Amino acid sequence: MGRKAQKNDSLPGSLDMLILRTLSRRDLHGYGIVQYIQQSSDNELLVEEGSLYPALQRLELNGWIDGVWGVTSNNRRARIYKITAAGRKQLAVEVRKYAKLTLAIARVMGAE
Amino acid sequence: MLRRLRYWIESARRSEALREEMELHLAERAAELQADGMTAECARAEARRRFGNVGLKQEESREIWITRFWSELGQDVRYGCRTMTANKAFCALAVLLLALGIGANTAIYSLMESILLRSLPVADPESLVVLNWHSRPPQKDSGQWVVHGLQGLFWPGTTGNLVSGIFPYPAFETLREENPVFSTLFGYFNGHNCNLAIRGQAMSAGTEYVTGEYFRGLEVSPAAGRLIDSEDDRAGAAAVAVISFATSQNRFGGPANAIGQPILVDNIPFTVIGVGPPEFFGVDPAEAPDLYLPLHTNLLVDGARAARMYPDGNFYWIEMMGRLRPGVSMAQAQAVLAPRFHQWVATTATTDGERAKLPALILNPGAAGLGSLRRKYSKPLYVLLMMAGLILAITCANIANLLLARAAARRREMAVRLSLGAGRFRVVRQLLTESLMLASLGGTLGVLFAIWGVRSLTFLLSNGRENFTLHAELNWNVLGVTAALSVICGLLFGLAPAIQSTGSDVMPALKNGRGGGPRRRGQHVLVVGQIAISFLILVAAGLFVRTLNKLHSVQLGYARENILLFSLNARQAGHRDPEIAIFYADLRKRFESIPGVSSATLSQSSIISAGRVGQAIRGAMKIGAVTIQGASVMAAGPRFLTTMQIPILAGREIDDRDQTGSRPVAVISERLARTYFGNENPVGRRITLPDEKRDLEIVGVSANLRYGGLKNEEESAMTVFVAISQFSPDRMTYALRVAGDPLTYVRSVHEIVREADSRIPVTNVVTQAAEIDRTISQEVTFAKLSTGFAVLALLIACVGLYGTVSYSVARQVGEIGIRMALGAQRGAVVWMVLRRVLLLAGVGLAISVPAALSAFQLVKSFLFETQPNDPGTLALAGVVLLSAAILAGYAPARRASRIDPLAALRHE
Repeated sequence: MGRKAQKNDSLPGSLDMLILRTLSRRDLHGYGIVQYIQQSSDNELLVEEGSLYPALQRLELNGWIDGVWGVTSNNRRARIYKITAAGRKQLAVEVRKYAKLTLAIARVMGAE
Repeated sequence: MLRRLRYWIESARRSEALREEMELHLAERAAELQADGMTAECARAEARRRFGNVGLKQEESREIWITRFWSELGQDVRYGCRTMTANKAFCALAVLLLALGIGANTAIYSLMESILLRSLPVADPESLVVLNWHSRPPQKDSGQWVVHGLQGLFWPGTTGNLVSGIFPYPAFETLREENPVFSTLFGYFNGHNCNLAIRGQAMSAGTEYVTGEYFRGLEVSPAAGRLIDSEDDRAGAAAVAVISFATSQNRFGGPANAIGQPILVDNIPFTVIGVGPPEFFGVDPAEAPDLYLPLHTNLLVDGARAARMYPDGNFYWIEMMGRLRPGVSMAQAQAVLAPRFHQWVATTATTDGERAKLPALILNPGAAGLGSLRRKYSKPLYVLLMMAGLILAITCANIANLLLARAAARRREMAVRLSLGAGRFRVVRQLLTESLMLASLGGTLGVLFAIWGVRSLTFLLSNGRENFTLHAELNWNVLGVTAALSVICGLLFGLAPAIQSTGSDVMPALKNGRGGGPRRRGQHVLVVGQIAISFLILVAAGLFVRTLNKLHSVQLGYARENILLFSLNARQAGHRDPEIAIFYADLRKRFESIPGVSSATLSQSSIISAGRVGQAIRGAMKIGAVTIQGASVMAAGPRFLTTMQIPILAGREIDDRDQTGSRPVAVISERLARTYFGNENPVGRRITLPDEKRDLEIVGVSANLRYGGLKNEEESAMTVFVAISQFSPDRMTYALRVAGDPLTYVRSVHEIVREADSRIPVTNVVTQAAEIDRTISQEVTFAKLSTGFAVLALLIACVGLYGTVSYSVARQVGEIGIRMALGAQRGAVVWMVLRRVLLLAGVGLAISVPAALSAFQLVKSFLFETQPNDPGTLALAGVVLLSAAILAGYAPARRASRIDPLAALRHE
């Protein structure tokens, strides 16, 4: 797979938002989240896989997501994460922040 | 926070879960890659590659639960413990050295703190100021001075001035009136020891006479009853007294019981009105009075002499302290009071000579009370602190050395860890944690050592006096300083080796089999430094021991052993002239009749403390028209020369025939006789005393003796003994010559005195030998401590040297093996190693000798008949140091010579 995809480092902190957004659609385990982000971005966004787990721990500690032991589609024990009510609120906050930021960037780029 | 805590508690289970999650991730990724057509192996590797550093990510995730710092610290500490148990000898040594270094410093610093820095235990001590004055000494110029008489102390100030804290009473009254800068001005004077009789039992009690403002000014509240106020401090007021908390407990069973009780002070009835608070000790940390009396009651106790002191503007006796009004600084107060005092003191001067050098008022901070202790002990303590500081320095150097050597030995371990992906900072931190662990262990042990040290130092400094009031104890500030010291030691000396061992390229360390590395200059510098400092301490020890030896070898001219000394003061118990002389004489006979006592005598003081204790007879004596220069008077009773075993060269000694009314007599010492009578027989000639121009008949000549302290050089052998019964003695010191241990006779002495007059306490019971040693206790302390320090320093330096040499021998095993394979003799190998030892020691000495020569000028005042650059001491210290160095270097040298060339070479 010799292809270089864009790593998700252009917007720091956006990983949290992506995870929350993903989990707001469906409950997933870690690997599933990576896959989902990759697929839904048409392989444009490649989550640095290792970084996912610290991020998940952080989100869980903040009470935005909740992990429970479950079974994956191919019948393996895994921690399945779901978003909490607080997580949805946080997602809204982050989306607003993100919109503001992209708007600001768009303005700068447009002003050229 | 709570959640965090819960996570932390569950951390083991959680990290297991995390690991499982990550493994699943890797497995799924690998499965997917495999489905894409990779081989199983490639797929797993690619999955791992994409995932990144699994361990690091686990750490990062864990960091989310608990701060990573703590988790890593936990690891480091656990790892540190493991390495420490693996290197027991190294760690024990390092901890012990640190403990000794830190302990010695803490102990001495604690003492300094309590002597030099501690505040009086009263409200707002910062606003207290002590009133002093300074003046040019009277001897210069005309000899005329406004100070016609005094009762108190002077001490030398800067630039040759005399400084004192005593004032005439009218000066106190003048300054007290409408004082704009002080809210209170109070006076006091030390009444020394009085005879305090409580319910018929007498004791010797330290007494402080205080003005009515004293307790108000210090803002002290009583533990019971009330304190002395202005109403009590008038001539003719009821005689009242305040006693110390300790006295109330010892004699009345508690403060409340003491109130209203009658007591006798020097046989004058007083009533106890109050008890001071437990922590209160007056204004002088060197004294802790048992008794506080209103100033004017000295009219009752001292009689006419006291009455003359009050109106006399030229008699200096009362000391003063003031409490500044809020917002007034000491400088402002001085600016207001100095002109006022000057104006007043000018009126007391009657001649131009007196006006030329009037005392000038100066204010000093009073927060720490009077400075007598400070003046006495600060310099010796600074010297001790300097030595202890040097010890700590070599200790730290040594620990640094040990850590350096160990870091070198662990280079491979570090290289392995670095190449396995440990962060450089992480490795440095690991090493730092280890050195901090060493330091904190050492610090803890050091505190224990310090507690013991403070006790023994206080004991040493106190001269064995029971009522020594310096209550030095470890306090939190000192503990803080110690803790900081040990932490800084750990950080400083952990950091350098840590950085060094991680800084180098990993590969050579991994390749090098023997864990050697480049030659370590740092270690050599440290060893040279240690040797230099050890030499300094060795020389100091040598000088102090030599001083002590010189003092011990001083020819006393009288007996030191088998003599019991004790003091009585019958006058304080109400005995008066002329009966008192008979009372004392009778007692002497009764002491002499104790079985085992071969002779008993009495004198104004012991010979060693003559001139410092009791009333001294000073001034110029004359033989005919010739003034005698430099002779001292000793008032002694019958059989003094016999008891003290001073040979009688001609005539007779003073005996029972010499009584109050009889012909006044004197016995003179040989040198006095030789100097002023030549070869003539002085017996029958006359000598004139300065007081009352009394003419004494010389009845005998004694051998020479050392009058006064051992260090007194001028007060040499010219002594005039006079009959004590023909003078008017207060306090009397008895001396009994006994068989066996003098202290076994103490009980009989007490019985005889109680029978004679139960109101008289027996004080200062001591053997002559102990009394003499007491005068040189500082020298004894210095000699003992500095010897201890020197042994310690030598030991530490040798350990350092041994470590360094062993290390370099280990590093050179290959080289030595080759040399031996090529035919080098064992002796040559030993010499090769020892040469390096000698070189290090030589460089250390070369640095140290000039330093020693200049540094020891500072301690010159502590030496006796010993020059600071005493060549014998320097040479001895050098020889001791070199032999110790050779000893320390010989073991590794021998080991080097035993290297089996084959084994050494095979290892390469």
